[in-house]
Amino acid sequence: MRSYGILACVVAASVARAQQPVAKTAGPTLIKNATVLTVTKGTLQNTDVLLQNGKIAQIGKNLTATAGAQVIDATGKYVMPGIIDPHSHTMADAINEGSLSVTSMVRIRDVLNPTDINIYRQLAGGVTTINVLHGSANTIGGQNAVVKLKYGREADEMLFPGAMPGIKFALGENVTQKNGQQAAQAQGRQLRYPATRMGQEEVLRDAFTRARDYKASLDEYKAKVAKGDKAAIAPARNLELEPLVEVLEGKRFVHAHSYRADEMLMLLNVAKEFGFTVKTLQHGLEGYKIASEIQQAGTGLSSFADEWSYKIEAYDAIPYNVPILLQHGVVATINSDSDERARRLNIDAAKLVRYGGLSDDDALKTITYNGAVQLGVQDKVGSIEIGKDADVVIWSGHPLSVYSSAETTFIDGEIFFDQKKDLAARDQMAKERAALEAADRGRRAIVP
Amino acid sequence: MRIGRTMRAATLATAALAAPALARGQLGVQRQRNAPSVYAITNAKIITVSGAPIERGTVVVRDGVIAAVGAAVQAPADARVIDGAGLTVYPGLIDANSSVGIGAVAAPAAAGGAARGGGGGGGRAGGPQQQVAATAPNSLHPVGLQPEVSTVDFLSADAEALSGPHSAGITTVLSIPSSGIFLGLSAVVNLGGSNAQAMVVKAPIAEHIGFTVSRGGGYPNSLLGVFSALRQTLIDAQHYGAEQAAYAKNPRGMRRPEPDPSLEALQPVLSRQIPVVMEAGLEREIERALDLAKEFNLRVIIAGGEEADKVAARLKAENVPVLISMNYPRRPQASADADPEPLRVLRARVEAPNLAGKLQAAGVKFAFTDGGLTTWTDFLPNVGRAVESGLTADQAVRALTLGAAEILGVGDRLGSIEQGKVANLTVTRGDLFAGRVSQLFIDGNAVEIRAPANTATSAANGAWTITVTLDEGEKPVTLNLQQAGEQLRGTIQGALGSSQISNGSIGPTGDVQFTATVTMNAGTEEARFTGTINANVIRGTVAIVGHPQGTFLGTKPDAAQGAGRGGRGRPPAR
Repeated sequence: MRSYGILACVVAASVARAQQPVAKTAGPTLIKNATVLTVTKGTLQNTDVLLQNGKIAQIGKNLTATAGAQVIDATGKYVMPGIIDPHSHTMADAINEGSLSVTSMVRIRDVLNPTDINIYRQLAGGVTTINVLHGSANTIGGQNAVVKLKYGREADEMLFPGAMPGIKFALGENVTQKNGQQAAQAQGRQLRYPATRMGQEEVLRDAFTRARDYKASLDEYKAKVAKGDKAAIAPARNLELEPLVEVLEGKRFVHAHSYRADEMLMLLNVAKEFGFTVKTLQHGLEGYKIASEIQQAGTGLSSFADEWSYKIEAYDAIPYNVPILLQHGVVATINSDSDERARRLNIDAAKLVRYGGLSDDDALKTITYNGAVQLGVQDKVGSIEIGKDADVVIWSGHPLSVYSSAETTFIDGEIFFDQKKDLAARDQMAKERAALEAADRGRRAIVP
Repeated sequence: MRIGRTMRAATLATAALAAPALARGQLGVQRQRNAPSVYAITNAKIITVSGAPIERGTVVVRDGVIAAVGAAVQAPADARVIDGAGLTVYPGLIDANSSVGIGAVAAPAAAGGAARGGGGGGGRAGGPQQQVAATAPNSLHPVGLQPEVSTVDFLSADAEALSGPHSAGITTVLSIPSSGIFLGLSAVVNLGGSNAQAMVVKAPIAEHIGFTVSRGGGYPNSLLGVFSALRQTLIDAQHYGAEQAAYAKNPRGMRRPEPDPSLEALQPVLSRQIPVVMEAGLEREIERALDLAKEFNLRVIIAGGEEADKVAARLKAENVPVLISMNYPRRPQASADADPEPLRVLRARVEAPNLAGKLQAAGVKFAFTDGGLTTWTDFLPNVGRAVESGLTADQAVRALTLGAAEILGVGDRLGSIEQGKVANLTVTRGDLFAGRVSQLFIDGNAVEIRAPANTATSAANGAWTITVTLDEGEKPVTLNLQQAGEQLRGTIQGALGSSQISNGSIGPTGDVQFTATVTMNAGTEEARFTGTINANVIRGTVAIVGHPQGTFLGTKPDAAQGAGRGGRGRPPAR
């Protein structure tokens, strides 16, 4: 019995070591002699980047390291801004509240899972910021969470400070649930309205009409209070309508999953009618057909590089979608909508060089700067400029090359992924596994 | 001799628990004649918990109350004396969060479901049969979101259901229905009494919140919706309270606020008069629960708490007690070529017994709960494993008794052997974790402990009549199972041919799996069955090489589960 106890202590000690949060490299870091892809201000050869106090402090040749700085020799390597993924469902314990057509009251923030291993894998793909969205089960979905991938920290610490809140809308086939309708009828379950695209438009109008009325009652109450009316009773808080009021007031971004040109135009028209701008259309594979209209509405678009025909509404997709939109002045990005694609967004960006002849910088912008604009955080991240957050990645080669990999990923100047350390940790994990399995087997079986 | 008469009296008392209401009056009279109301356990080791252990002393119980305890106490002349040589007397053990004592609300619905399910086939694929949420009459809120549900309305003094916890030395539980989002208002309940209401020691104790969606569709159907529904309900309750207060001040001139029993039930929660018990195990679940409590300034207690050590600093800082589940994770039965388990699963299993010691070291208050385990003979040994892993035996005993009572707000009447407290005692032969529970006293009534009818070890045994629904149609089969611990053996016969099953296992919560060779139109194939057993219903899914996934559903003849479940007295819901 005692020897088992000692083994448990050994296991506990090694387990405790493994579970320690990533050591905070709060100190300065000097990355030396790299090819720096600023993305917005050109490419700098043989250039140093100094990261200090969580920011990009200096960019130049032959910088002197601050006292105590960690120096990384990046000769032959490339440094680019951390990749921004504008459409992610990583690190969420639930993605869809699809029971109702309008679920604007639900919040991704409530279900964030900071221990999702996919966070780490995306760091290894050079991603530093993601927009965690509600799914596309319903016309008006839930509130998003913009997150920096600080793996090992708690959810609160990962929220992107100051990012504009957002909400997810969805149009088209996922919402009409054509595939699910038969199964529902077979099981005797009631179909959820709407089953058609025209119903989706009605849901939007109805929700925003109710939101407008709610806003009016709130404004009326505020006016009474301003006049000194002590007897005024505040309207009961309605968590469903509050975020929609924020949309009307321009305080919450709308990110709308949509595919077909007609449904996108419908949404842009409804938004105009109610006086707000859709911040981004998500996927928007037919966006190229209405590029001018999208630009005129002031709306951005976040798409795939070359996904096509996996459902009827994706039949007209072309790989030139994003380049055409960019040509028309639309802020366009590539997103992953997938834990797996999120690890190779650099390759998806590279496809735009092949399909559309984008310059390297314009291709890289679709996975960095443009995403920052779409999330409203372009003064903080998205390019390598002095004063911006130190969210940068050292790549083994040019990031648009299929042979390159992310070696070191910094967020706010701290290293959250280091390829060398990852390889070294595997031995230790194997030892830990062996110790745990031995302890597990050594335990007497609990059978009455 | 004297012990023998005590046993007879206890047997009669136990029989009285299960007696239908009509006969209660007559048996009650008989009980009064035969059951002693004064006991003295002499020469025993006594762990009072409130004071130093008494190596050899006497406890006197009179009229349901501890009359005297001490080394020099003499047995009164009218006492039934029990020779305590070789015995240790503890305060009655408390299971601090349990659905023990709740009547089988699901039983009628399950029977109906099984009958329909057999014909309807595919739709409802396997998954554990969840207890249908207890419902409140006239509620304005949907099932599962009715905080006014009161445990005392669903208690049942069914002796068979109580035998498991009795065998683990448990005299008292914090009783709460097990499904729903708002689970309802819990009660501290003694596991024995002449009727269900007599079991109640104190109610309401706390409002309970589970974070799992119940079946049946509708909002919410995801964890996202669960949080929003909770938040909106609490906000509505705040608004309701404000409205009621305004109306009370001056009823004239404002529209009479609509009464709402659900929002009414949340008022003592919002005012911190009663705490909220939130079920949370993973680190992030605990963080979310604490965040929600903070949002509404609620007094909170965490139930389950499997990763509470990772949040210990915050639990300590916010003064949050933890009700630790003793349902430690078990090693699953895996085939030889299964993938290795993830490190975090291994860690969780190996580290589980260390949790109590870590919380003790961090200064977090805690008690123990059964956590839904069905093999009650594991309960005390699992606490014993916590003692081997950093908790002292004294600290463990305290958490099982006075510590639990204090967290639940009944420390003034339960949890220690002190004069004047309720006469709940757990008597063991030998040390609590190494020995055997021999007797309990509940409200001064003696309960003899026999070897438990451990349903979990025989849950699978029997001849199951099953319909397997496949792409080739519905196939009636008979499945004969024998259970040995966690292993299953048996045969399958009928429309899918005859074969022995292999790789069969059953877990503590009734999850079963086994492999069998089945005869399809094109020939024989290997089929892997995965499902759950709940009472006499088995259901699940079947994976057959080269075919789409199928489902199965079946029953076995009722063993001892009669239709007349004692003191519930309420007709089935449907």
